[in-house]
Amino acid sequence: MLSLYVPATGWLHRMPAGPKLAMLAVVAVAVAALPSTWVTAVVLLVPVVLYAGSGMRFGRGLSALAEATWGLRWVIVVTAAGQLLFLGLEPAVANTSRVVAALLVAGLVPVSTTVSALLDALERGLSPVTRFGVDPGRAALLLTLTITTIPVLARLAADVRDAQRARGLRPSLLRGALPLLVSALHYADDLGEGLAARGIR
Amino acid sequence: MSVIRCEALGVRLGGREVLREVSLDLSARTIALIGDNGSGKSTFARVLAGLVRRTGGDLRVRGLDPDRDPAALRSKVALVLSNPDAQIMMPTVAEDVALSLRAARLPRAERDARVAAALVRFGLDGLSDRPAHDLSGGQKQLLALCGAFVREPALVIADEPTAFLDGRNARRVADHLLADSGHALVLVTHDLALARRCERAVLMADGEVAASGASSEVVDAYEGALAC
Repeated sequence: MLSLYVPATGWLHRMPAGPKLAMLAVVAVAVAALPSTWVTAVVLLVPVVLYAGSGMRFGRGLSALAEATWGLRWVIVVTAAGQLLFLGLEPAVANTSRVVAALLVAGLVPVSTTVSALLDALERGLSPVTRFGVDPGRAALLLTLTITTIPVLARLAADVRDAQRARGLRPSLLRGALPLLVSALHYADDLGEGLAARGIR
Repeated sequence: MSVIRCEALGVRLGGREVLREVSLDLSARTIALIGDNGSGKSTFARVLAGLVRRTGGDLRVRGLDPDRDPAALRSKVALVLSNPDAQIMMPTVAEDVALSLRAARLPRAERDARVAAALVRFGLDGLSDRPAHDLSGGQKQLLALCGAFVREPALVIADEPTAFLDGRNARRVADHLLADSGHALVLVTHDLALARRCERAVLMADGEVAASGASSEVVDAYEGALAC
């Protein structure tokens, strides 16, 4: 598993995972609910303020924001292009800003919360589903593994691209899809056996 | 009580008979499973751990039937794989060890204390906040062992745990596995020197038990067969 966690001791890192999840969810929803006007683009300041003022070192916070924004580059391009094509410039800027701001705010959760704390918070938060026969511990572990597996898939995709380059080929989405699928399935097998080996079913 | 007792145990996987008529009654504390690649050792280990279901015969591991009582078996048995990367689930060393105790639902203070003690025991206490996947191969295997032993299992099943390690790390891992800390050990290995350190050994060939007895005798017999 790979973690996006950035060690720090600021207020956001010290905040318990449950209230933090709730607070960031409220902020993300509020940002997403704003109307589509030019003024809405200022919501992009919200993640800037939160990352810079989260208690990580100022530069480290902005660096984490830059990394997160770079990770969303295709989301930005696809959202903006689609909106521009069908709705025009003003809604495109406003809607893309809202989506990006909401995603960046959500991205503060893994940056400021250890996986263990996230697992504990999810398990507590999911406890009401017990009445429907769902084990909150298993559901929380599933969600946590899903979140922490995303960077693993990105690493597998990078490995496939490197392998293509090593064989003198230009990285290609089409040629890389099958090896990536095989690697992902192999990883899923390993993960399943590893969980079983540790007594987790 | 027997560690492993099986009678006419059989396993079919993908239409192929991987284990045939395996009958054993072993009560030693340390048991080595040896044999060629494809002889059925790893499958047997996975059947013992409840990861693969038998298709015939009877089996008791520490008195439990893995197919009928899997939850009780999981609480008593830990499995260590040859590739530690397959067992490391969490980003940091301490978090990964703590994951093994989640099912036990211990109070946080007790969980933290047990994790800390296990890290010290395996010499990982200075690495508790390090990213687990940045560790060396030897450290990763020690972490996998730590994650297994923190649960205080009655039986540890280790499938070629030293396969990818250099001599020094292989020795450290073997010493931890063979140390008497109240657990029994079933060790799948190609390292015959390591197999000799176990009390008993079982030689597997083509899915059957070819020999079983004191480890020195069984390993001698295997080495004799290899020399032919």
